[in-house]
Amino acid sequence: MNDLKGIPIAIAGVCDGLALSGNAGPVLHEVRSLLNDLVTSGKSASIDLRSLPLLPGDYEKLKVVLGQGEVSATLEALGVTHVRETAIHGVWWVTHYNSDATIIAEFIEVTTMPEILRTHPADARAGLDLLQSRLTPAIETGRGDGDA
Amino acid sequence: MPDDQTLAETLARRGVSRRTFLKFCATMASLMAMPPAMAAQMAEKLARAKRQSVIWLSFQECTGCTESITRSHSPTIESLIFDAISLDYHHTLQAASGTAAEAARQHAMKNNYGKYLLVVDGSVPTKDGGVYSTIAGVSNVDMLVETAKGAAAIIAVGTCAAYGGIPKANPNPTGAVAVSDIIADKPIINVPGCPPIPVVMTGVIAHVLTLDTIPELDELGRPKVFFGDTIHDRCYRRPFYDQGKFAKSFDDEGARNGWCLFELGCKGPTTHNACATTKWNGGVSFPIESGHGCLGCSEPDFWDAGSFYTALSMPADPVKYTAAAALAGAAVGVAMSFASRAKKADAKAAHRTATLADLKK
Amino acid sequence: MNELQFLTWVRGPGFNIAIGIFILGVLWRLFEIYSLGRKLDLAVPRRRPGASGFHTVWRRSLAPPGMLKRSPVSYIGGYIFHVGLAIVVFLFGPHIKLIESLLGLSWPGLPSQIIDAVTVVTLAAMVVVLVDRINKPVKRFLSTFEDYFTWALTFLPVLTGYLAVKHLLLPYTTLLALHILSVELLLIAIPFTKLFHAITVFASRWYNGDIHGRKGVAV
Repeated sequence: MNDLKGIPIAIAGVCDGLALSGNAGPVLHEVRSLLNDLVTSGKSASIDLRSLPLLPGDYEKLKVVLGQGEVSATLEALGVTHVRETAIHGVWWVTHYNSDATIIAEFIEVTTMPEILRTHPADARAGLDLLQSRLTPAIETGRGDGDA
Repeated sequence: MPDDQTLAETLARRGVSRRTFLKFCATMASLMAMPPAMAAQMAEKLARAKRQSVIWLSFQECTGCTESITRSHSPTIESLIFDAISLDYHHTLQAASGTAAEAARQHAMKNNYGKYLLVVDGSVPTKDGGVYSTIAGVSNVDMLVETAKGAAAIIAVGTCAAYGGIPKANPNPTGAVAVSDIIADKPIINVPGCPPIPVVMTGVIAHVLTLDTIPELDELGRPKVFFGDTIHDRCYRRPFYDQGKFAKSFDDEGARNGWCLFELGCKGPTTHNACATTKWNGGVSFPIESGHGCLGCSEPDFWDAGSFYTALSMPADPVKYTAAAALAGAAVGVAMSFASRAKKADAKAAHRTATLADLKK
Repeated sequence: MNELQFLTWVRGPGFNIAIGIFILGVLWRLFEIYSLGRKLDLAVPRRRPGASGFHTVWRRSLAPPGMLKRSPVSYIGGYIFHVGLAIVVFLFGPHIKLIESLLGLSWPGLPSQIIDAVTVVTLAAMVVVLVDRINKPVKRFLSTFEDYFTWALTFLPVLTGYLAVKHLLLPYTTLLALHILSVELLLIAIPFTKLFHAITVFASRWYNGDIHGRKGVAV
């Protein structure tokens, strides 16, 4: 299906590759306001980039202004998800791809830690059980499992 | 797979992680224009949800809706929804057939009375006692009424179930009607389209499962998040419409330059659907992007709204009665002229010549 | 009836009814007028036969001397909205497309931006002449229900057409249906109201000029 992208379809007069809709500025101001909230009240928030009419030039402007930070993570969950912190600490850029490597959702998250990276308490509990079960055969000879 | 397990447990067993879940919900929230913060809530709710019993009834239909939903572009994401529900009856997809299949429906209705979700595709023929479509000897009308009784909500999938669709098109030989014409006392969500966009169907089901509410509907019973805008509102060719640049044929310079297809009969301006934003076949394109006008398939009676290739501003059908009207007009005109000539003759006959004596009076 | 069914009705049966009544009415009136049976005027025309008629067709398109100053609103407003209507009705792409589908005749249209501007000016001019009609005591005294009725029938198609093209106020489907419906009402009214001048204007001017040309009245 990705081969279809190779077919050159030029839409005359709409977008010349890096056209700007003028929406990048307001998005950046929104990020600033959300970051201010994070700093003052610790409240996380995110902006759904796909819900906004952004042209390639707008994306370019957002990327230039926000820059690339030091954290970058990749998840494999129904296709790849890229999570990276921008050069502005507390501002994260999350891109979800499907298994065909097409972007299905994209967010700017203003948070100390994107939700998708955090380990859910229930998963942590499951992890504990798993580790326990892996350790149990080794210490079986020692004594019975403490909390079994 | 036991039904009392939560979805998270069921999926975890199948190797679907909670992050996958969160990603799915983030995508759904984005698609449904919900605030991104809803995603985490949805994920929590969905993870804890018990599998929802769903009964899917297929009436007078072509199975295109089922084809559409089972050919979702990224099967892994949409199939999550199928893991989230217990599809207890769907006569195309289920393994059981005949008596066993009907028993499955009765069983699901009894066990989940008042709680199951009823999905219907296809219109319901009502003429001649509904004999034109029956399942296991039961007419569609009777089966719908019986099954709707214990349903928590009904999702009418496809234009046939939502508005009668093609079976209802003139002259409607089977007396086909929509689900909402028969069932009045249950919440009905219409998800029209011929077929509907897969992700719209799964999105609506996800909404009902995760938020336990009916999404906000427009006056035609369609979820506003997907059907709030017209195709034209969100069409990438809209700037050409605004500039008055129209393709005049399917192979002229305008068509090759991707100009607006309004004059070639595109029904985008009157059609509410999400094709222009969610697109089809994995986001590859949608009809207008492929160079063909919108047929308006998510609107009631789209099949009878004139030719697919006649511009909306033009008469739906060839004009009738003009010759008769011209003849009648000419006839009335001639009759009137005789009448006025007769009047003139009468006036002339009644005319008396004034004499000098008259004037002196 | 939902909005799309409404639109389908006005594009189908409604349109047929309106066109039918329009053709019937126009032919009725034309037959009636042309068969009134006027006596042949044997007087010798002062100029070449027919010349006075054509001259009057032209002369009555201009304001009589001094009148432009005495009632500028009637004349200027009148010119603007009549010319505007002609441009909007006959030079807007979708309208040409419609005429082509009905009669097979077609000609180039104007860009939609120009049509938009002309439409706004036409609407404004129509409002101005209406306000003038209501404000001037003499005009108000001379006005009947028919004058206001035909004004509304002419104004509504322009207004609804503009709103539909610009996607304002109501959903496009509803507005387009209302636009077509208002045009259908106008079509039905044309043969039976003073709006019939749209058809007879030049013929009646010619006729008046021709009579006057044989009677010593200045033309």
